[in-house]
Amino acid sequence: MKKVLALLLSLAMVASLAACSVQKNGNTTDNGGATNEGGDATATEITLWTYPIGNWGKAEVVDEILAKFNEEHPEITVKVEYLDYTNGDGQVNTALEGGTAPDVIMEGPERLVANWGASGKMVDLSDLWTDEVKADIAATSAKIEGACQWTDGAYYEMPLCMTTHCMAINYEAFEAAGALQYIDEETHTWTTENFIKACEALRDAGYAVPGIIYCGGTGGDQGTRALVRNLYGAQFTNAEHTEYTMNSEAGIKGLQTLIDMVADGSMTYDAGIVASDELTLFANQTACMSFCWNASNASNYASQITFTAFPMAFPSDDGVPELDGGIWGFGIFDNGDQARIDASKTFIDWVCNSDEAANNVYNTTFFPVRSSLGDVYAGTDKASFSDFLIFMPYLGDYYAVTPKWSEQRTAWFEMLQSAFSNGDAAAALAEYDATANA
Amino acid sequence: MAKTNQAGMSRALVRRETTAAYLFLLPCLIFFLGFVVYPMVTCFINSFTIYNTYGHSFSVATMFDNYKRMFDDKVFWQGFWNTIIIVVVSVPTVTAFSLWVGTAIYQMGPKLRSFFRCIFYLPVVTGTVAVTVVWKWMFNNYYGLFNAVGKGLGILDQNINWLGDERFAIWCIILILFTTSIGQPIVLYVAALGNVDQALIEASEVDGATKFQVFWKIKWPQIMPTTLYILVITTINSFQCFALIQLLTSGGPNGSTQTIMYYIYYQAIKLGEYGYGNAMGIILAIIIALFSAIQFKVAGKDNT
Repeated sequence: MKKVLALLLSLAMVASLAACSVQKNGNTTDNGGATNEGGDATATEITLWTYPIGNWGKAEVVDEILAKFNEEHPEITVKVEYLDYTNGDGQVNTALEGGTAPDVIMEGPERLVANWGASGKMVDLSDLWTDEVKADIAATSAKIEGACQWTDGAYYEMPLCMTTHCMAINYEAFEAAGALQYIDEETHTWTTENFIKACEALRDAGYAVPGIIYCGGTGGDQGTRALVRNLYGAQFTNAEHTEYTMNSEAGIKGLQTLIDMVADGSMTYDAGIVASDELTLFANQTACMSFCWNASNASNYASQITFTAFPMAFPSDDGVPELDGGIWGFGIFDNGDQARIDASKTFIDWVCNSDEAANNVYNTTFFPVRSSLGDVYAGTDKASFSDFLIFMPYLGDYYAVTPKWSEQRTAWFEMLQSAFSNGDAAAALAEYDATANA
Repeated sequence: MAKTNQAGMSRALVRRETTAAYLFLLPCLIFFLGFVVYPMVTCFINSFTIYNTYGHSFSVATMFDNYKRMFDDKVFWQGFWNTIIIVVVSVPTVTAFSLWVGTAIYQMGPKLRSFFRCIFYLPVVTGTVAVTVVWKWMFNNYYGLFNAVGKGLGILDQNINWLGDERFAIWCIILILFTTSIGQPIVLYVAALGNVDQALIEASEVDGATKFQVFWKIKWPQIMPTTLYILVITTINSFQCFALIQLLTSGGPNGSTQTIMYYIYYQAIKLGEYGYGNAMGIILAIIIALFSAIQFKVAGKDNT
């Protein structure tokens, strides 16, 4: 009996050792491809790691996309792993140091270009940026190409989709508070003066939480950046993207305005929550507005919202906002294997530039960077997404490629915590400036 | 001749048994060398190098740069003092509370004792993320349990932003850490108290010892090894408080919940400053070793 038990224990140990040696995390899927089915010796296997960009974070959707890809390219097998924004960067950095980085990664220029590209980990995708591609993308926005290109001239991202981040208001709450007079319902814009008046009207109508400036972490910080920046037209970085410039007269004035609003009860701040919490509070009507809105969030929260979530541009002193953009696409880590790099480029080219590109964009729940794809939501069950196209002309500078972006993001939310707890915008922004530009 | 043979056989036997023993130890030794010794040595070496996502270099002129940077880094010091607060508060409270609960339940019937052990051990076996989600809801500023109960009972005039207010945030972290730390010490104390020599207890009671005297003179010395173990593991766990910070506060508000462990993670994993993270890891290991040595010195002297 003892021998049998010892044998079983030994087997269990060996099995656990074998399990340890498999370099495959739990959250992975494999599209099969030709290698497994046909036993094709020339087949290439590549790995794709994707952040949760719309439905590209859902295995069932990505599996369908990969199945279509394999119909055209049975010689390439794509293994997928799904990352989240809390731990994703850590996973990628650890993999890079351990020599187990994926072949393809899906995210935005702040990571692909300014972080991993700048540190020499990525493959130059210049050959995918043909003149036709450049012209097509430039027709959507001239800023996209620059965002995907590092200062050395190399392209480290092939973009698929984009959006302009905006905010949203609870239309019925605004109506009840008599605050609709302060917004331009036609253009979805408002001035800083009217924004302040609207918040005061909400406060006076008994709404305890007109809006929440969340600063518990980096999650959704594009909302608070856009809010503070737009109020009096501050620039987040210089034009060369080499320095953070919010410690300016306009930046201080914008932040101080919000601090004063918190003091008079027409705004609140919360150092214990991030954007996802704020969105929940907006969806359950605790807060009358959200500073972290876009087509994707409108879709995600649609089932929880029982009021009209009216998308709005961020308020600005002249009523013409400069919205923060999100650009998502693909980059390739340089793993030193030309066959895998070539296969990765084939995959990226298929996703972004083939006849299936429109469907692939549709699954991001954002908008195509290629103007030739047109409105991918027209005539679909997501036709309402097209409402967000109204914000595209307000797309501002894509400054998220400035060096030390990760450090800046932490310094930003810590700056907000300091500013709202101490009430001194100038001191907080001076401290932020010293940290971000160190 | 027979004596020589006997000695020779003994040596052979000893050698064979020694070889067998080392072979049995070999798998553990491989793991220990691979996953403990090697990372420690690597960490130590890397702490003297400039090592980040841009590259890895060493020069004598810059070998102490990471350590110099650490001593000039006010966030590190903020994390250091917060970590000390967590350790100084949580270690004695966890130990004292566990001893109290252990003393109260070890004489109960088997079923009731198992029930209480399960209750107190539940937060240990429940995933940290699940525990954190529940606590986050209870601390919620807008619809959390604590604010609802506090206002319902008239204790609070208005909602408190438990995790968003630097006056309260670290105490909330300590409270959660407390609930997740007491499970194992309670189980250990119940076992240790059950092993106390009953003959000594009965003899002291016959001699007229009070309950306090029985505890202090008979039980306490016998459970001292368990206490020492609990002190050391609770200290180490408190120093390594990380997941709660990452999931709840990201070190804020205003750095009030920043800890050394979270800062190491932030620098090394988030920012890719591996050399700097390694240097902080070395300092943290030295601090933990010092605290543990003090505990062995103070609490361990009765066991020698």
